[in-house]
Amino acid sequence: MQTAPSDYERLARDTFMPQAGKIVDVADMTAKDRYFRVELEKPLGHHPGQFVMVSILGVGEAPISISCGPRKDNILEMVIRRTGRLTQVIHNLKVGDELGIRGPYGSGFDLNDFYGKDVLFVAGGLGLVPLRSLITAVAAESGRFGRITLISGCRNPAEELFREQLKEWADSGIDVVRLVDSTENMPWECSVGLVTDPIPKLSIDPKKTVVALCGPPVMYKFVITALADKRVGYDQIYVDLERRMKCGVGKCGHCQINGIYCCQEGPVFRFSNLECLPEAL
Amino acid sequence: MSYYLATRQSIISWIKLLASENPTYFPEKYGGASYRFSLVKPDSDIQFEHYTPTVVPPAKLLVPAREELLSFRKNEQGKTEASPTLDTSFRVLAGVRPCDLKGIFMMDLFFNDGVPDAYYIARRKNTAIIAYACMVPCDPRAFCAAVESLHHTEGADVFITPLADGNLLAEIKTDLGKKLAATAEWQQCDDGPRRKAEAVAAMPKPFGRTFPLAFPEIAKIIGRTWQSDVWEKHVVRCFSCGTCNLICPTCYCFDVADSFNLDVESGSRTRTWDACMLPQFALVAGGHNFRPQPAARQRHRVKRKFEYLPDKYGQGSVCVGCGRCGRQCTSHIDIYDIVTDLIQEGDQ
Repeated sequence: MQTAPSDYERLARDTFMPQAGKIVDVADMTAKDRYFRVELEKPLGHHPGQFVMVSILGVGEAPISISCGPRKDNILEMVIRRTGRLTQVIHNLKVGDELGIRGPYGSGFDLNDFYGKDVLFVAGGLGLVPLRSLITAVAAESGRFGRITLISGCRNPAEELFREQLKEWADSGIDVVRLVDSTENMPWECSVGLVTDPIPKLSIDPKKTVVALCGPPVMYKFVITALADKRVGYDQIYVDLERRMKCGVGKCGHCQINGIYCCQEGPVFRFSNLECLPEAL
Repeated sequence: MSYYLATRQSIISWIKLLASENPTYFPEKYGGASYRFSLVKPDSDIQFEHYTPTVVPPAKLLVPAREELLSFRKNEQGKTEASPTLDTSFRVLAGVRPCDLKGIFMMDLFFNDGVPDAYYIARRKNTAIIAYACMVPCDPRAFCAAVESLHHTEGADVFITPLADGNLLAEIKTDLGKKLAATAEWQQCDDGPRRKAEAVAAMPKPFGRTFPLAFPEIAKIIGRTWQSDVWEKHVVRCFSCGTCNLICPTCYCFDVADSFNLDVESGSRTRTWDACMLPQFALVAGGHNFRPQPAARQRHRVKRKFEYLPDKYGQGSVCVGCGRCGRQCTSHIDIYDIVTDLIQEGDQ
């Protein structure tokens, strides 16, 4: 029954010790969002929709979405918004600098739920960042899905993320609808409106459509109402939620949604499983 | 395992002997009326007769207010190296009452579940617990019997029950308990279970404050309650200070933060107690707060004790009825009153 000290140390290392990731590319996406391409010591082995805990020892640690699809190499892609002390320091890092990475954590999306179906993605603002991990995976084997549609909205043209990739996806046969809430007098070639606006106009076959959505907390209810009007069942809708997280391993309590831990059972949920969790949306 | 009869004096001498060999904690009177688990010294006043629950429960000796997870420093190549900081020192917690013993039992469940917590387990496996049964309610706020923690004994290495004749019955429950008791001069007792049953039968009934329903029914009522005036009724007095979380034997939520030493090269990652009653507990980057209202936070706290964690672990109420939250709340908000109101509302 006595556990050897080395066992505690191994357990502590497995749980809380970040592995080093070397930054191999950075790029500004907007005034406050920066793209980071990180090379890890070993492949991350993640599913779409999972997240990592990113840290700089001495500064802090935060949960960050994985933005690349599943990969066999050691690469991890993230987009990090400058919003606090840690992200400010991360924004000052350059190619060659190191980040601490733990994970991947959370449930993620299961591609088996999407194969053979029409797929609709709805992304609001930074929601495109985690959803990109799934879009990339779906786009990579687009023949295994029916019609693929992406609605991507953001506040104004200057806040649009992955603009070139959105165009590439459109060129590859995905129906991409790009919107801004307001042009704010900036040049803009696409639509103006909320991400819910295009949904009534889409021809959706509720029997063979699955939806994945991610965006700011306020977005979900409106999108789900619009989808319900198109008779899309709650069990065909997957939502990717956001919560405060300090550990990633179901202990610190911050990410709790009613009785469940978002970091363990989420952050991706089938919406029908959230109906009994009034704190979810 | 086995039972011994001992005098009070011999138990006290034994605890002092243990304290001379290992760090040993016992509830010591502190200030006018409160107690706290303090290191036993040769001149410590150890007694079992007078007791109210310590300000901070003994479970928190296993989950310290501030605990280093990792320390880091720059090596000769200028690379930052980190290593876990683990406390594997041995300690004895003596005079732990059944409510607090159940609190530690619950913590054992939480920290061993899923991804086991090395830091907690390292401390817990190196902690001996000498528990002491309560024969009368410790103070008017106790409701341990109502949440079925009064007779909890699991997790103790030695469990002591006072008998009507003034002697104490020491029940050795683990190998570690047997090892610790090896130095004690106690008399083997062949009819321990009978003597213990007699002592238990003589305990007052009802014992402390009671609920009109048993726990499974209370959990069902609280499970059905989402919108309720009860959440607003008590919380209007709440300052969102988080005291109720910090002194709860089964609260374990934590925050994690880093700090540098003065050399700005070495430092540590530490976790500290956090509290779901604090306004920023569920605040995310960008400013969205998932529980902005005090009532939503109080509902979460009550449901965690009476619904969420009991559902998950199936070991009954996670509130152990120690009464600390009501006793130490500046506004006298007592989880007992909240639950009583919820039961009353649910019955209507």
